[in-house]
Amino acid sequence: MSIKISEKPYKERIGQGIENDFMRQAVSSAQGRFRTGRLTQAEELGNWEDWRQLGSEIRSHTLENIDYYLYQLSEQVEKRGGNVFFAQTAEEANEYIENVVKKKNAKKVVKTKSMVTEEIGLNETLEKIGAEVVESDLGEWILQLDEDPPSHIVTPALHKNRQQIRDTFQEKKGYNKSDTPEELAAFAREQLRQDFLTADVGITGCNFAIAESGSVTLVTNEGNAEMVTSLPDTQISVMGMERLVPTWEDMEVLVSLLTRSAVGQKLTSYITTLTGTRLEEEVDGPDDYHLVIVDNGRSKILGTEFQSALHCIRCAACINVCPVYRHVGGHAYNSIYPGPIGAVLTPLLDGYEDHKELPYASSLCAACTEACPVKIPLHEQLIRHREIIVEEEKKSPVSEKIMMKGFAQWASNPAAYKLSTKVARTALKPWTKDEYIENGPGPLKGWTDVRDFPAPGKQSFRTWWNNRQKGGEA
Amino acid sequence: MAIQNREAFLSNLAANLGRPQKREGVKRPEYSVAPQREVFKDYSTEELIEVLKEHCKVIHTDFVRTRKKDLAETLKEVLDGYEAKSIIASNDRRNQDYGLDVAYEQFADTIDVHLWDSKLGKENQVIAERTDVGISFSDITLAESGTVTLMTNKDNGRSISLMPKCYIAIIPKETIVPRMTQAASKIHQDNENGVDAPSSVCFVTGPSNSADIEMNLIVGVHGPVKVTYIVVD
Amino acid sequence: MKVSLFITCVSDIVFADVGKNTVELLERLGCEVDFPAAQTCCGQPAYNSGYLEEAKKAMKQMMKAFKDSEYVVGPSGSCVGMLREYPEIFKGDPEWEEAAIDLANKTYEVTQFIVDVLGVTDVGSTFKGRVTYHPSCHMTRILGVKDAPTKLLKNIEGVDFVELPVKEDCCGFGGTFAVKNPEISQEMVKEKSRHVSETEAEYLVGGDMGCLMNIGGRMRREGKNVKVMHITEILNTHGKEQGGEIA
Repeated sequence: MSIKISEKPYKERIGQGIENDFMRQAVSSAQGRFRTGRLTQAEELGNWEDWRQLGSEIRSHTLENIDYYLYQLSEQVEKRGGNVFFAQTAEEANEYIENVVKKKNAKKVVKTKSMVTEEIGLNETLEKIGAEVVESDLGEWILQLDEDPPSHIVTPALHKNRQQIRDTFQEKKGYNKSDTPEELAAFAREQLRQDFLTADVGITGCNFAIAESGSVTLVTNEGNAEMVTSLPDTQISVMGMERLVPTWEDMEVLVSLLTRSAVGQKLTSYITTLTGTRLEEEVDGPDDYHLVIVDNGRSKILGTEFQSALHCIRCAACINVCPVYRHVGGHAYNSIYPGPIGAVLTPLLDGYEDHKELPYASSLCAACTEACPVKIPLHEQLIRHREIIVEEEKKSPVSEKIMMKGFAQWASNPAAYKLSTKVARTALKPWTKDEYIENGPGPLKGWTDVRDFPAPGKQSFRTWWNNRQKGGEA
Repeated sequence: MAIQNREAFLSNLAANLGRPQKREGVKRPEYSVAPQREVFKDYSTEELIEVLKEHCKVIHTDFVRTRKKDLAETLKEVLDGYEAKSIIASNDRRNQDYGLDVAYEQFADTIDVHLWDSKLGKENQVIAERTDVGISFSDITLAESGTVTLMTNKDNGRSISLMPKCYIAIIPKETIVPRMTQAASKIHQDNENGVDAPSSVCFVTGPSNSADIEMNLIVGVHGPVKVTYIVVD
Repeated sequence: MKVSLFITCVSDIVFADVGKNTVELLERLGCEVDFPAAQTCCGQPAYNSGYLEEAKKAMKQMMKAFKDSEYVVGPSGSCVGMLREYPEIFKGDPEWEEAAIDLANKTYEVTQFIVDVLGVTDVGSTFKGRVTYHPSCHMTRILGVKDAPTKLLKNIEGVDFVELPVKEDCCGFGGTFAVKNPEISQEMVKEKSRHVSETEAEYLVGGDMGCLMNIGGRMRREGKNVKVMHITEILNTHGKEQGGEIA
């Protein structure tokens, strides 16, 4: 996989999302629960705005000095017996990891949930050289068995129901029990336990790397990350270069923001902080450790008006409040990063060509900006994208350009504007019935397909005002 | 050990930021707010224990409180509740202080007892995998979130708290702090003073769980299914 | 107190009553209202669509129009929110930055003005009926006006106020969004209409005609008998016949 997940055109993806009743029901109820959880946690703290402020200051400082902290991080990892590989591209990252796996002659690789490995398409690379790759996060495992892309960055299989999951288990793994979540999960435990015990290499993502000690923090609930990092002797952590904090104290604050914003928990069941290789006489943990730091387009964002998009801690709070996401689902975004943050990040990482519709898939309601625990101005960044699409990429429709030129002339010329307030009613007369337009022309059509449009009043406000000033009707 | 491609990678970042690369001289700023230090700021240990106890209900964890001299007995009761036939415990120095060395010897009359033994290497993991209950001490206990902090060393493997179906954390009362802030600060201070972080620090909060299937909470996935905290006065 | 009315283009052309009610309400509260005739549109349709240069032309016209005003008050959280963003947009522009800051600092949404500047929370109106309120996204999240409208509403004698479920959710209007992404916008307004029905309110009140036109237009299409009112209309029912439908 890469960032992009299909070749279908935008409108088709939107349509499929809207028609998928189960998915929409599931997303809607999940959003409700996530929202309640997050708001309850924020309320309990009482000073949530201070927390957000602190989170954003930590992220700003880190990104402003990212080269310094990555240097420090790599020095510390090396000091603790690990290897560090800086990968500018997905290909470089994949090649390095492939070589580690080859060198170990590894047959089986177990993984924790990691968006960056999805982004670089690591699984396909390793499968090509004959390694068996097992996703161990329950949601990711379900998707892997069903060959389906994730639709959410925290709960990747949100769009699937229990019957679909049972069928997948039956077909791919010979499962023969019920579709209760408990039995399905128990089956996963039993199956994956064997994989953990027999894997040669463990691969993890990284929620926060801590520069001062060369540590990698993983935030999980299921315990799979513990397994992946305890059992195999070789371990590789893959991190997007921005997933970095200066110290343990900063990590702690961001973890608190992450778990509250993502799942409404004070902390998840496992916050695992790993530093280098296992020490002498220790048993659990790797004796061969690799940290792969991935750029893959991120550095282009530094120093631009989009830099704060790199502050993202992947909590999905913006996704969980987004009404657009609720109605179209994650796959409609055609990116492993869906929702508002996906609409901001995807064109930056993967170009406008395939993703030029995403910045417009928002009513700019700013619910995302309000929810973001590190204060990324998401809806404003969507407007910046639109400006680039119009001004630099020249990808906006011709009809829209003409309309906007007209708008500028109209709105900068009081006489033209005044005239329009007089003729609007007459101009729309052919479509008006009982003071409403039910079947409008041109751009009004999308509107009147499902709702009525009010006809301009008999008298504009300014006409009324002028009459009133002249002592007329008041 | 190797670091590869660093120079080109970092100089590109600095170029995008429009300045020369930084190797030194960066200080963390004084952030404008510090809300994390306000949480349960003036709480006494007793009040923090109350917070911990309450939060255990949220995280599906049994809470037990006992005195040091009764610990062995309390532990046995919890084990009986789990119908434990085998246990694996850390080979912690604190075992002697808390009378657990003697207790484990006594338990061995009726159940299989394995103390983590670094000389056995990977065999410890194999034993942990087939054992019913893991037991270890919490190094720092976070009242707010109901979290035990487990620092790995050669006598205390991660497998203890991870592989068995049940896990019991012994929580010395003096390890209880308001929240993760205090634990992180300690590790940060140690690091500043040249004391390396343990190879793994695990903040464990109750049993493993998942909500990946239709957002239904399932308690007990890959890690333990049941967890008990025993707070010891 | 001297107040210049910022009518907004939508209310100027389509919903003149919103302007009348705003004028009467402000006058009743002791303000002297004028109407700078050179005003046009705040520029938001172009700005939100990425046409910054085109938007700026409209914005400059607005800065000229309100140059001499003491206070500028408008019946829309969204349009007022746009004016409040001018300083950010004209930052570093030697010719316009000062004017942008000046306009942003003196511009208020009408309920915000009544509560925060006039210091009035009860306008002394009476209105009988079950009323719910849609807090528009730009009013609450961009302009940051969260409490003023409901404070005023709840103090109207006779109003049976009922909270709208998931009220903070966008109605799907979003300006050009409704035209560019009609499929998604439709689903959003259907959901909002459902939530309004759940309240069993007779009246849906809001502070932004864009949203009200959207929700009202949908409810009319569904044949629902809910009357849609701009907040100035319900606040201005003092001594008048009870209001009717304006969207």
